[in-house]
Amino acid sequence: MSTIPRFSRRRFLSVAAQTTALAAVASPLYLRPDRARAADGLAQGMTGGPTGFAGAERYQYGPDTPEGRAIEAAKALKATGKAPERIVLGLSDGSIGQITQPFPEGAPSVKELWEAETGIILDIVGVPNGQEFTKVMQDVSTNGGGFDIYAVEWNRLGDLAETGGIVALDDFVATHKPEWDDPERGYVNGEQGVSLLNGYRGSVYGVSLDGDFQTWNHRTDLFGNADEQKAFADQYGYDLAPPTTWKQHDEIAAFFHRPDQGLFGSTDLRNQGWGYTNWYQRYVSMASPNQFLFADDGTALINSEAGWAATQEYVDSLSHHSPDAISWGWPEQYGNFGNGSAAMTCAFSNLPKFLDNPGNEGSKVTGKVGTHLPPGREHADGNARRTVLWLNLTACVSSQSDHPEAAYLLLQWLGSSRIYSWMTANPGGYFDPFQLANFADPLVRETYHAYHMDVVRESVRRTVPTINYPGATAFHNALDENLMAALTGGMSAEQAMANTERQWQRIARRVGEDKLIDAIKANKAAWPTLMDPIAS
Amino acid sequence: MTDMTSPMPHARTDAPDAEGREERRLGFWLTLPAQLLVLFIALFPILMQIYISLTDWSPLDGIPWYRAYELWIGLLNYADLAGDPRFWSALWRTGLVMAICVPVQVLLGLGLAILFVDDFRGKRVLYSTILVPMMVVPAVAGYMFFMLFQSGGPINDLLSMISGQRVTIAWLSDPDLALFAVIVSDIWQWTPLMFLILLAGMVSVPQDQQMAAVLLGASWGRRFRTIVLPRMKTIIIIAVAIRVIENFKVFDNFYIMTGGGPGVATETISIYIYKVTQQELIWGYVAAIALAILIVLSVVSMLAIRKMRKA
Amino acid sequence: MQRSLSFEIFRYTAIALFLALSLIPTAWMLSMAFKPIAEWQSSGVDLTWWPNNPTLDNFRFIFGHSSSDLIVALDRTAGRPILASLLSASFGTAIAMTAGTAAAYGLSRFGFGGNLPLALIQLRLFPPMAVMIPVMIMWAFLGLIDTWWGLALIYGIVTLPFAFWLMKTFFDDMPREIEDAALVEGCSRWRVFLRVTLPMMRPALASSALFVFILNWSDYLIALLLTTRDWVTIPVYMASLSSSMTGQLYGAKAALGLIAAVPPVIMGIAIQKQLVRGLTFGALKE
Repeated sequence: MSTIPRFSRRRFLSVAAQTTALAAVASPLYLRPDRARAADGLAQGMTGGPTGFAGAERYQYGPDTPEGRAIEAAKALKATGKAPERIVLGLSDGSIGQITQPFPEGAPSVKELWEAETGIILDIVGVPNGQEFTKVMQDVSTNGGGFDIYAVEWNRLGDLAETGGIVALDDFVATHKPEWDDPERGYVNGEQGVSLLNGYRGSVYGVSLDGDFQTWNHRTDLFGNADEQKAFADQYGYDLAPPTTWKQHDEIAAFFHRPDQGLFGSTDLRNQGWGYTNWYQRYVSMASPNQFLFADDGTALINSEAGWAATQEYVDSLSHHSPDAISWGWPEQYGNFGNGSAAMTCAFSNLPKFLDNPGNEGSKVTGKVGTHLPPGREHADGNARRTVLWLNLTACVSSQSDHPEAAYLLLQWLGSSRIYSWMTANPGGYFDPFQLANFADPLVRETYHAYHMDVVRESVRRTVPTINYPGATAFHNALDENLMAALTGGMSAEQAMANTERQWQRIARRVGEDKLIDAIKANKAAWPTLMDPIAS
Repeated sequence: MTDMTSPMPHARTDAPDAEGREERRLGFWLTLPAQLLVLFIALFPILMQIYISLTDWSPLDGIPWYRAYELWIGLLNYADLAGDPRFWSALWRTGLVMAICVPVQVLLGLGLAILFVDDFRGKRVLYSTILVPMMVVPAVAGYMFFMLFQSGGPINDLLSMISGQRVTIAWLSDPDLALFAVIVSDIWQWTPLMFLILLAGMVSVPQDQQMAAVLLGASWGRRFRTIVLPRMKTIIIIAVAIRVIENFKVFDNFYIMTGGGPGVATETISIYIYKVTQQELIWGYVAAIALAILIVLSVVSMLAIRKMRKA
Repeated sequence: MQRSLSFEIFRYTAIALFLALSLIPTAWMLSMAFKPIAEWQSSGVDLTWWPNNPTLDNFRFIFGHSSSDLIVALDRTAGRPILASLLSASFGTAIAMTAGTAAAYGLSRFGFGGNLPLALIQLRLFPPMAVMIPVMIMWAFLGLIDTWWGLALIYGIVTLPFAFWLMKTFFDDMPREIEDAALVEGCSRWRVFLRVTLPMMRPALASSALFVFILNWSDYLIALLLTTRDWVTIPVYMASLSSSMTGQLYGAKAALGLIAAVPPVIMGIAIQKQLVRGLTFGALKE
């Protein structure tokens, strides 16, 4: 890394402060965004895109690109009076910065660029993190009509599509050709990746604006310390390195677990709503290439040897966690890791961007963060290393919107590889890289760190989708409730799985088994089959 | 209608008819706003809840609530409710929290009030200091207690200092201890109010009666038992009633400290309904829960009022 | 009244013990509010009870100023939520006090509204969470979602019972002779209520209003469900004070919590004298 990301703290602060003209009470941090956008700053043959900084041409586009087509179509709508004056986008608070904050130095903001090119105002309404779906359901069930676009967790897509609260985008996709499956720049796994992230039961309902593939982090200073290496090798008989199997992971975590010195072995989450992401990783790797949650006929498979073993491991792993693990959410996890109090953790791919960041003077781990592929389980044909896709912000067009096409065009523009790379490189928010073009982009690699980017890309290839069928929330809640009972000793692993199975059967009946079986099959098609070689 | 009011309308036998009409008119207009507000908040919600409680409506079904009849299921929600262990355990837990919090708060409040009934040096300052927790927003208190109860947090630090060895109890991660922790936060927050109300009751006991007792040579403890306490019966009942009413709905600090967890260890009825509403989104079922609670509470409050009127 | 020395010792010891425990959370909030970020970690070996390097950064931060240590920035400051809390709690109190006082007087003097005591007890008993779905739908229909006036209206309704009960006990206690004298002098009933009764009730009104205000000011749940962005209140806003850079912004939360305690404290001091008398709920009349 030759250049350190060029965003001073002051910029960082200023931009976030201006995002809400509505709510900002006379903030002195309000800086006029640089208005240096000029058509003549575009590279040869380009019709649009950001200008004003070195490398801007990477994010510019010609007429025959998804971005170019979106802009032209939006302009055409505008010209014929069919475009709205403004598009209202409901978005989690933490992500707004990436749209409203100019980045890098000299560039316009994403919002400004869209408004300048199309003349349609982009109105962003912030939603507290974690409340996205609640707010959407409020809008849907009360016919609030407050938004043209909802950004929700990807897992809710099925539920939301079933409400009729969002519209199918197939016609728009056919007309405007977003090229999401572009083999060079598009989604990982091409068409299959697109249908996983944006589709539900064969139709496109969303446009992914995130990459929440849970990735593993460790502390390079601890792993590289000669004394630690020696002590570890003496104790366990193999070299200290980022773990490739769950057994190694648990041993390394136990080795580093020194609560009296303020260091925990591993702090991947164990709380409600998150803990099961680790259970998933342990469970799905139980068979080669995957241990599924449901059989093709909709029968739950978790109440089995594999389910019991995974649950038992999951419960046992508490021994190398913070004693408070069950009550910790990601803010506590990030705070703790930044404070240098954990040897390993599993988190959103943005953890290194925020905590291994010279601008973050509160972080004690800057320059000491490494990332690794998820631990796995060895089978005859290889090591099944699996992680999960969980949460992942996805934008959907509200069926209450008067201008669904214009709303879609905005999403096509935002979610295509050039604009998205530029946007995800911006450190001001939670939109994480997920397209091939993002992983390769120099600016993104600077923000997210090159060492991390390749691991993320490789983790994506090993990512199992969590439940995204209708009833997803109910399914996850049932699992959550029982896993929690197992964690707190109120239930054995076997009981927890048996209870979950019973509750899942009930939910499946309510949702409708035909709907479910379709969705399960579509979901399964996206499970990875990649097996890693077994280390000798 | 008027049987529920303690003082009857002021009888003015010599009042001309015009004045009676004026009084009636004024009485009507004065009570109208409150009546309208009650009607406003009761009528639609109750009717709507009755309606959707008979359906399987969820906002996920994609039809507006008034078309919920398409998902008519009769009394099935109520049958489900009767056999829903989570509902009953939340109800039971709410009762348990109440059974611990209310007596502790009232007894602590009473004990403190006894100490404050006569004058002593520093009374004013100490009295105000005791009231401080009342002024802290419960949600804020929730965050403070979350920090205090961390395994490496201040409370364990204090315990370590006292015991001389490192204490690392994971208060919020253990089902029993978590319940204890949220109960502590509730007691902390509301004891001052009990103190205030009970002290108010105590100082209002006429001094002349007490003085008479002093002249008769009654000891302080005896005076308290024979004169003060009997006269405070009603206010103690009121204090208990206020806490029971408010404690039944407890949400803020519990939700922030534990989110009802670990598991359902601190899930009170409000938190349970919140989760079913926001996460599971089975709103027909939520309506059934609400109505069941409404019926139970109506019976209880009617009995309580009848009893209080008799007393 | 003279008490023995041993009683005095017991009294001070007991009060001191109680205060020592009850002040821990408040002291912690006070301490957190002035701690720089490096000392926030509430867990672990480097726990600090009192700020080693006290700073005002937390306060400056929630009002949108950068500080040397806080890397994150807020996309909205605490100013607007404070305003939202003030407006909704004050107007909610006004609604509850107006309707409650009037109804209490109407019932106490003229016997109107005999259904109110029971209806209001039920209203207060009922967990707000259980009616939030219809209320959300009503509020959306009336365009009251995410407005301070919508919040004030629901606050006024849920605290109406307390305003009503408190005021009713005062009216029941109040001697009628003064009102009667004014009536004889030819004042209308309405005029007597406004010019004679209410002014005499000023202490009662003040203490009832404080109590109702504290209840409104404390609300988290209702605001969580009825506001979205423009008019979120302090407790709802506080939940969003966390970031990927630093985890939970404990210092900022504590600073805001301290600010949130200011209005009740000011009101409490202003009516200190009436506070005790105001909360007897009329239980002591003959």
